[in-house]
Formats: sequence, C-alpha cells, structure tokens
Amino acid sequence: MLRRSFLAGAAVGAALPRFAIGQPAGSRVLKFVPQANLTSLDPIWTTANVTRNHAWLVYDVLYGMDAGFRPQPQMAAGHAVEEEGRSVTITLREGLRFHDGEPVRAADCVASLQRWMKRNSMGQKLEAALEDLSALDDRRLRFRLKRPFPMFFAALANPSNPAPFIMPERIARTDPFQQIRDTVGSGPYRFLPREYNSGSFVAYERNPDYRPVAAGEPSLTAGPKQAHFDRIEWHIIVDPATAAAALQAGEIDWYEQPPPEIQQLLRRNRQVAVEPIDRLQNPAILRFNHLHPPFNDRRMRQALLPAVDQADYMTAIVGPDPALYSPMGVFTPGTPLANDAGMEALAGPRSIDRAKALLKEAGYTDQLIRLIGPTDILAPAAMTQVAGDMFRRLGVNLDFVLTDWGSVIQRRASREPVEKGGWSVFLTAFASFEFADPAGNFPLRGNGAGAWFGWPGIPRLEELRDAWFDAPDLDAQKRIAREIQLTALEEVPYIPVGSYTSMTALRRNLVGRVPGFALFWNLRRS
Amino acid sequence: MFAYVIRRVLATIPVMALVALFVFSLLYLAPGDPAAVIAGDQATPQDVERIRASLGLDRPYLVRFGSWVWGILNGDMGVSIFTNLPVTTMIAQRIEPTLSLMILTLILAVTIAVPMGVVAAWKQGTLIDRAVMGFAVLGFSVPVFVVGYLLAYVFALELDWLPVQGYTALSKGFLPWLENLVLPAVALGGVYIALIARITRATMLEVLQQDYIRTARAKGAGQGSILFLHALKNAAVPIVTVIGIGIALLIGGAVVTESVFAIPGLGRLTVDAILRRDYPVIQGVVLLFSFVYVLVNLIIDLAYTLFDPRIRY
Repeated sequence: MLRRSFLAGAAVGAALPRFAIGQPAGSRVLKFVPQANLTSLDPIWTTANVTRNHAWLVYDVLYGMDAGFRPQPQMAAGHAVEEEGRSVTITLREGLRFHDGEPVRAADCVASLQRWMKRNSMGQKLEAALEDLSALDDRRLRFRLKRPFPMFFAALANPSNPAPFIMPERIARTDPFQQIRDTVGSGPYRFLPREYNSGSFVAYERNPDYRPVAAGEPSLTAGPKQAHFDRIEWHIIVDPATAAAALQAGEIDWYEQPPPEIQQLLRRNRQVAVEPIDRLQNPAILRFNHLHPPFNDRRMRQALLPAVDQADYMTAIVGPDPALYSPMGVFTPGTPLANDAGMEALAGPRSIDRAKALLKEAGYTDQLIRLIGPTDILAPAAMTQVAGDMFRRLGVNLDFVLTDWGSVIQRRASREPVEKGGWSVFLTAFASFEFADPAGNFPLRGNGAGAWFGWPGIPRLEELRDAWFDAPDLDAQKRIAREIQLTALEEVPYIPVGSYTSMTALRRNLVGRVPGFALFWNLRRS
Repeated sequence: MFAYVIRRVLATIPVMALVALFVFSLLYLAPGDPAAVIAGDQATPQDVERIRASLGLDRPYLVRFGSWVWGILNGDMGVSIFTNLPVTTMIAQRIEPTLSLMILTLILAVTIAVPMGVVAAWKQGTLIDRAVMGFAVLGFSVPVFVVGYLLAYVFALELDWLPVQGYTALSKGFLPWLENLVLPAVALGGVYIALIARITRATMLEVLQQDYIRTARAKGAGQGSILFLHALKNAAVPIVTVIGIGIALLIGGAVVTESVFAIPGLGRLTVDAILRRDYPVIQGVVLLFSFVYVLVNLIIDLAYTLFDPRIRY
C-alpha cells in the first residue's frame, strides 16, 4: 500500500507542469550570456571586450575588416584617393540613419573619428599624419594628409579596441576621457536603455531601418550584417556552472566563454555545440619590468628563454589537447605577419639548467624577483602559476604575489623598484587582432617611459614600427615583421608564452555564426 | 517607550557615521584603481591619470570623504564610476530581488525551524530529536553554494520543474516570482533553519523545566497549549534575537546565493562593484546594509516587549 502510494505520488509529480521551458525553435529572441558584465556603454572610453561586443551590435563603421584582414566598405559607398595618397574623400552610402531617426552625416563621422583617434594607437598614428579632416557635405568627408599613409584603410577598419564606431556628432563631441551618456548608433540592433540593468540584463531590438551592404559575404566585421532576431537579450550570469546549467536547460542559447572544465561538461550534451569562437588564437605573454634589476639587463631576460616551455603555459589554460594551442612569436599565428624568425629561442630544447647557467653568467646574485598575478581571471591566473613554478625551479629569490585582477592592474602601473612595492614580472593574454600587426601589439613598443607597463626602451623596435607604417605593400610589411620578431626575441621586451583557442558554447539550433568574437549578425535559428 | 525609540533612532546616527568613515577609509586604503580598469590595456600612464582626474580620484582623502558625506546628507550617494548611473538608481534596480529572497527565506525558515525546534525539545532524546539535530548539523556544515548547485541539478536540470536561474519581478505575477525564488530560498534558508531550530530547542528545553509548565500540566492543559502558548512564548526572546542576528547571515548568504542562481540583487551588485573598485557603489551598498542591520536590531529590541511584559523601555 505504501509503495503504491509512493508510485502514485511519483506519477503525479512527473505529470506536474514543467515551468522551465527552453527556447522554442521558432523563437525570434536570442538569449546570450556574455563573458562579463556590461558596465560601460562607451566603446571609445573603455577597451573592455564586452563593451566592444555591445558596440558591434549598436554601431556601424565606415570600413569593416574581413577575416583575411582586408578592409571592406561598410557605411562607405566608396572613396577617392588623390594627390598621390595625400587626399582621401569617402562618400557615405545613401539612406543611412541613426536609431533616433536622424540621417548619418559626414559631420557625424568626422566627430566620431576625431574622438576615436585620441584613444586608439593606430588612430593616433593616423592623427599624426593628418593635416585636416572635414565634412565636404552631408555625404562626403575628406582627409588631407601630410604624407601618404599606407595603412589608412586598415586603420579605419581596425577591429581592435577601440574600433572607429560612428555616433551622432552631438554625442561624439564628448571628451574621449569622459563616458558618453547616450547609446545611439546606426548598427543592426538598437540598445534598449530602459531595460538595461548593469550586472544583470541588457536588451536590444532589431533596427528595422538598417540597410546591410548589398554585396559580399559576412566575414569578421565586413560584409552584409543581416539581423535575424527581433530581440537579443544578454543575461549576465557570473557563475560558470549556473550559465552551463541554463544553456543545458535551454534557458539561454549562447554562452560566450565557458571555462575549460565547463566545456567538458557541455560537450556531453547533444543539444549544445562547443566550438572555437575565432579561427585565430589569443596570444599570451610574460612581461618584464625593464626599469629595475634584474630584468633591466637584457642578458637576464634572455636567460629565461630556455626555461619557457610554451606548451606548459597553454596547457594550464586550455588543457592537454594540442589542437587548442600553438607556439608563437610576436604576431598571432595565422595572421599575415606571423613568421618563424628567431623562433629557435623558444622552440628548441627546453632546459631549466641552461637557464640557470645563463642567469649566473648574466650576474644574477639572488636579487628579489616579484611575480604578480591574479586568481580571478582564467588565462593570466593559470599562466602565473606556471611561471611561479618555473621561477621556483630556477631557484631564484621569488616573491610570488597573487591578488585579484583589479589589484594587479593597479600594481603593474607602479614604476617603483621591488623594495618599494614594485614588480618584476606579470603574465597576461590579448585578443587575436591585437597581435596581428605592430600597430595593435602595444607590448612590443620600445618607447621607454611612454611604452606599455614594463616600459622597455628599445629604439630599434620603434624604428621598425615606424617603417612598418610606411611600408608600401604586404611583402614589405612581412619583411619588417620578420625583423621586428628577430629584434624582439633578441631584446626580449616580453616572452611570448603561446597562443590558445578561446571556445564558445551554443545551442545546436543556432547557425550562421560569424567567427571572430561575439558577433550577432547572420546568426539565426535553424 | 516613545522616548526609547527616539533615543535608539538617534543612536543609529553615530553608528552609521562610524560605518561610513570605516567603509570609506577601507576603500581608500585598499589596493586597486578603477581608472586603470577603465583605461584598459592599451592605455598609457598619462591616460590613466587623465581618467583618474576626471573621476575625481586624485583629490585628497578629506576632500573626497567630505564630498561623499555631504552628498549622502542630501540624499545623493554619488554616481557609479563605470555605469555612470546614480548609485541610488542602481540600488533601486536591485533591491526587490534581494528583499524578495530575504523575506521568502525568513518566512520559510521561521515556519520550518520553530516547530522543528519545539518538537525536538518535546521529544528530547528520541529519534525525532536526533533527526532534527542531525539536520541542524548538516545545515551548518554544507555551504550554501553546494546546496544551491544540488537543488539546481535535481529540480531544474533533471526534473525540469523549476528554472535554473534568474528572477521575475513580483509585478509580473506571483507564480513566476515564486518559481524563480523557491530554490534560492531553500538553499539560503538551510543554515538559517539550522540556527533557529537549535536555539528554539535549547531554549524550549530550559523553559519546559520551569515550575509554571508543571503547574500548567497539573491544571490539565493540553500538550499543544503547553508547548506553543506557555513554553514558546516564554522562550521567544532568545529565538527572536537569533532571528534578528541571522539577518546578517542572510545578507552574507544572499551574495553567494544570488551568484549561484543569477539573481540580480544587491549581493551581486556588491561583488561586481568590489571586483571593479566601483567605490561609490560599494560605499552605498555597505551603508545600506548597515542601516538595515541596525534597523532590524531596533525592531527586535522593540519586539521583546510583546513577548515579555516585564521588559520596559
């Protein structure tokens, strides 16, 4: 009797209505879990990747970059290059409108580009070459240059943070170091400010006035941007296990950046596909402080090269599958400038003993080495642990400081010696595009006090960077890139510790995703 | 009584001032720089300095503290460094989920824990008593996030009865609101139930030994009447005190529970703000939590008079 009652109860339980209903196949709403909370809405003010992804939904650009790193017109209908490259006139496509209904004018583009040029390294280079930028009329803007700028269109199509997004002039006139307050673009989706709840929820609706470019194929940020969903919702879920469970239950459609242990779990679900978000891999580096001993001495930096096994660093991030990581020099593998010049320094036999001997030869006498790193950001945290182990095996006097990422980025800005709270080494990773060329690869700069954290003073690297900007064609750029890599592995502004594939997870009924990063056009439900 | 309430309310002012000073100083001294977070990897030190100046973070400690306190006195908690939204707006956006979670947990906990404790005391030494105490030990020992994951796995993923995550506002219907909160409230309530059940049992055991209980029995009062009218009312003061103290547990637990179940509440807001060094938000939320805690304790103190007429203020 009791058993019968139990079975009856169980049957009733099983028959209860199921509240957690997944997304039906025909749903026109896409539910997405981004890599982080969307805190700032200004893609020029901050360089956070999550803001970049938001911005590609809302804004458009004059030129997109295809997966082969070729600039392609987006908002531009065409251009005329005159005076041997010292004058470029760009004409806007007809009928472009902002989300507030106002037409996109050349004056909007001028103001937007002027703001962008203050914050992007390639834009700064363009600004230095610029004599005048003005709107000729509502549809035409003209760049007058002091000298030809071969990277002109590559700069305007630059997908790295911050990208040259076009905003209304009234918004783009904001100081580039102040956040904008309105989010009005002309891109395929409209941001819905009333529904925005930072840390929880972001919503967008399809822009019915958006006119995708007529020709071409969607490729990275170039080609036609077809918006297939009426509405896109970002659900900020910070806990990976919860996000994974929501994806499995069909409560969300796409989980941008599941950590490796969660990927293993998701691979077991037939409704979920786990795939590389980009065909390119993310580069990672071990950065030295060039201001203070011991790594102000080039020989000390070189001494560590035989100890670095890139596979160790990459395995710590993505696990043991060798398909998910690659050896690398200073440019992202698979990009036009990637090369093998000087790679024997990183690809030859690895030896801690050799590194110890080189350290001794370089005059290492037990000076304090402070390795700083985070515990809360996957890739830098994993690599910092590997570096800590490497330094311990080298027998150096190591101070291993682990904090949260917020503290690391503050501490790495300190130029003080280690005795006064400074640092010697830290590790971090970048987006694939950033290391595609010398313009975006800012740790490669050698301009001393003005350089990125670590402040290497390597004038030769600066000369080569300038030469690359002036290179007339890709072959010339490639030759310079080889020289840059040779110099970098000789002077060691940092040690490349490999590149890894970033994975994403989405429901199998989503098709048409454009590889690169979290891009939402062309994506549809099958 | 009225004078006492006024005195207590006035006493909260120095408490809140101390909390404000402590929170502000702690954040001032803590490592981390929101300007560096905002500026990103490509920023030069000069860019970071410009952003720091534009946010007013380069001003002296006393100027910043004075400006913040003045703002609070005028009902302005400042503006989030990152979202550019007023802190009061951000708190207003997040207060409903947290309040909902805490109230539901409180109701659940008191409804379950008090009868459990009473029954355990009545059946002292029996299997029921041991089961209740065993549950209490379990409730104390298993972390909230473990319970949360287990509940989500069983009831959301396996049985598909309830959603894994999220929050639906009460304005969109009671049932959807409840569906989203059942699992988090059970997960968060575990430790709270354990605490209240143990205190209830211990206090009841003491009260049940009193002469007036024997008198009540001698007069022929029923078991229910003895337990819930004579004993429980006299045991109420320590129980109510623990319920009040437990609010702090709930606030702490809400941070974890809101993360596990992706509830957009104040706990999540606090954690996000701490990780980003969003000082105005951290200061605003901590100040609010402190105020709530002080207020709850005041209410608990006033509630004593309801249970024990000998207490006079």
